[in-house]
Amino acid sequence: MTATLLKLAFAGIRSRLLASVLTVLLSSAAAATIVLALEVGATARDPWQRTFTAANGAHALANVSTEADAQAIAALPGVAEDGEPIPLANVGLDGETDRLQIAGLRSPARVNAPVRIEGAQPPANGIVLEQSFARALGLQVGEALRLATARGPIELTVTGTAVIPSQPRYPRRNPGLAWTTRSTLERVEPDPGRWRWTQAVRLADPSAAPAFADRVASSMPPDSAAVETWQDQRAAALGDAAPTRIILTTYTIVLLVVVFAVVAILVGARASAQYREIGLLKAVGLTPRQVTAVFALEAAGLGVIAVVIGFTLGAWLAPRLAAASADTMLGSPTMAVSPWHLLAASCPVLLVLVSSARSATRRSTRFSVLQAIQSGTPMPAPRSRLAHVLARTSLPVPLTLGINDLLARRHRASRLGGAIAVTAAAVVFALCMQASLDARPAGEASDVPDELPLLVYTLDAVLLLIAATTIVAVALLAVRERVRDYAVLKTIGLTPGQIASSLLGAHAAMALIAAILSVPLGIGLYVAVYGIAGGSSEDRVIAPWWWLALVPLGAVILVTLATSLPARLATRIPTADALRYQ
Amino acid sequence: MRHVLEARGLAKTYDTGGAKVFALRGVDLSIGPGEFVAITGPSGCGKSTLLNLLAGLDRPTSGQVWLDGERIDELSETELARLRRRKVGFVFQFFNLLPTLSAAENVELPLLLVGRGRKEARRSASALMGDLGIGDKQDTAPTQLSGGEQQRVALARALANSPDIVMGDEPTGNLDSAAAREVLALLRAARDRGQTLLLVTHDARVAAAADRVINLRDGLVTDETELQAARPVALPFEHDEFG
Repeated sequence: MTATLLKLAFAGIRSRLLASVLTVLLSSAAAATIVLALEVGATARDPWQRTFTAANGAHALANVSTEADAQAIAALPGVAEDGEPIPLANVGLDGETDRLQIAGLRSPARVNAPVRIEGAQPPANGIVLEQSFARALGLQVGEALRLATARGPIELTVTGTAVIPSQPRYPRRNPGLAWTTRSTLERVEPDPGRWRWTQAVRLADPSAAPAFADRVASSMPPDSAAVETWQDQRAAALGDAAPTRIILTTYTIVLLVVVFAVVAILVGARASAQYREIGLLKAVGLTPRQVTAVFALEAAGLGVIAVVIGFTLGAWLAPRLAAASADTMLGSPTMAVSPWHLLAASCPVLLVLVSSARSATRRSTRFSVLQAIQSGTPMPAPRSRLAHVLARTSLPVPLTLGINDLLARRHRASRLGGAIAVTAAAVVFALCMQASLDARPAGEASDVPDELPLLVYTLDAVLLLIAATTIVAVALLAVRERVRDYAVLKTIGLTPGQIASSLLGAHAAMALIAAILSVPLGIGLYVAVYGIAGGSSEDRVIAPWWWLALVPLGAVILVTLATSLPARLATRIPTADALRYQ
Repeated sequence: MRHVLEARGLAKTYDTGGAKVFALRGVDLSIGPGEFVAITGPSGCGKSTLLNLLAGLDRPTSGQVWLDGERIDELSETELARLRRRKVGFVFQFFNLLPTLSAAENVELPLLLVGRGRKEARRSASALMGDLGIGDKQDTAPTQLSGGEQQRVALARALANSPDIVMGDEPTGNLDSAAAREVLALLRAARDRGQTLLLVTHDARVAAAADRVINLRDGLVTDETELQAARPVALPFEHDEFG
């Protein structure tokens, strides 16, 4: 019997190929979105910790006047591991107001080691720049950096960029930081009396770092030593990353909202596609339990394909987004996609698909076999008040018909409209952020990392892609469900152009309304996130109205493009064949 | 004699996975204005295919179809749709009312498509539904109507634009005897108003009510029977003779 049920499940997938493809499409989108949401969310959780681990970070980092003081700190009780004392020299940049602190390494640092982002360790006459400083100066690996020294300008080649957990992003921490060889440092600042020294230590009890810092301060002459504990570093880094973290968390929530809409649409679509099939299976003698088994097997088969596609897509995209966002938060870029996320992505998708099969079978007890076979699709919901009102307006007939069709599946329409509104709100958010950045006086340093706008636009693009995929799937579904209605309309006298415009017009109208609603929603979101991130309301700028006007326009264009293929398919339905199908 | 509808050498072949199925093998027929013609024959003989070709819902493999003097087998889909909305009313066995519209809105639809205003369309639909005995069902959803009522709404929709010809594919096939009788009476009333009727039917009573019965078998017209002389009718149009 199991073999028969499997055979029936496979036959079901093949016979309802379009429904199966749509199921895979929407499930893949849902799985990919879950992976993205989890990965992006994980990036936002504690980026500093990853960098700290990668750098073998210091539990206490002392800045003292002499090498001897540094060595004395390394010898204090409680120290489990220490790096060599590293000299630091302050220099200016030739022709620039920016300042730089250069660390002269004799050998690779054991504790609080710079985590390389690109390039190589500094060779002689080379310099590795802290990443945010390099970006602030617009310097690339291979370019020259001119330092202003007492002996005149010295030119060093930028050989790489790195991050370190003890250094907040430039210009929040000014001067910037760079690493070079000890001999190069001696060339830049030949007077050791002008050097400062850092000593990085790891403690046997990391939680005792504040007490250790107090001990260091009390053992040195007043104002000669400054000690930063790992707790200080972490607080500074998290404060630095707060805007990015809040934005990423917001986008994680937005992505999950879109997933909810996509999954809810999927459940409805499955139930609709199975209506007639249930009647046919019951007619040939399958019990409700066996019908459930057939649909569960079918759903599980499609679900596995979708999860594999969705996870592959999400896993390909997530590290790219995660790396970009990690950059903005001093996070280590070496993020691996968690295999747990595959489980997290597959469970809801498979659960939803299989449970929709169960609920479809449960519903099947409510109607007779004959009703199911004859009707083909479930009866539309009672007409909404809005549909009644629209019927009395002087809108063009095809548009009225299309909107009527859309409202007949009002839950699906509202979920799709919701997904469009949330996506468009994310775009409004990005526009407001850009407007705020543009309004900054030229040359003024910003708390917003340069990479953040790019990250936000990338996330917007992902959301738009998911929304567009969902729109295509929903429009295809609408065409599939209305094959006979379109044939009847053609018989009555609707031209192919009118059939297409009914589908296009209705979806575009829905997108227009959703996008108009998204403008206040997006502005509200921006104002809220800006407030939470501690931004001053005086600096807050809302995008100009003509930018915002582009959002509904763009939504209509996107939806029209996404619906054009399904609309074209609707015009090509062979009337006589469709009418024969009862 | 003028013909509302004429077919010459009409053939239709379906390619079902390599095997050819000859649904029609060269049918010639002519239907005059105000005539009530029934097409009968066993299942699979090509009745519905013939009706679909005559209504321009499908394209013949070969042959020609003329509707009211205009050759329609060469028209584009858009031209066919425009032609149908003015000149052809269609009634189906399973009613095929649009489930998302009320009964009255189903009837109004053809009127709106020819450019009538909404109020005017509603008035006309209301009057027509009253004439067909379903005036109290205007705001009812099709799913809440009985089979007979649904077919009356479908008939009202087919008659809304006073088309030259009303075609029906088993219009009484899904109705009980009483409802079938009522629908047939309404169809005859339309014919008495001068509209041409072309019905595909298995129902002997429907065929018996026709002026002429065309019998099909294996895609060919096997015989034609004149049941009664065509009655004089007031024609709503003047056609040039063709052919």
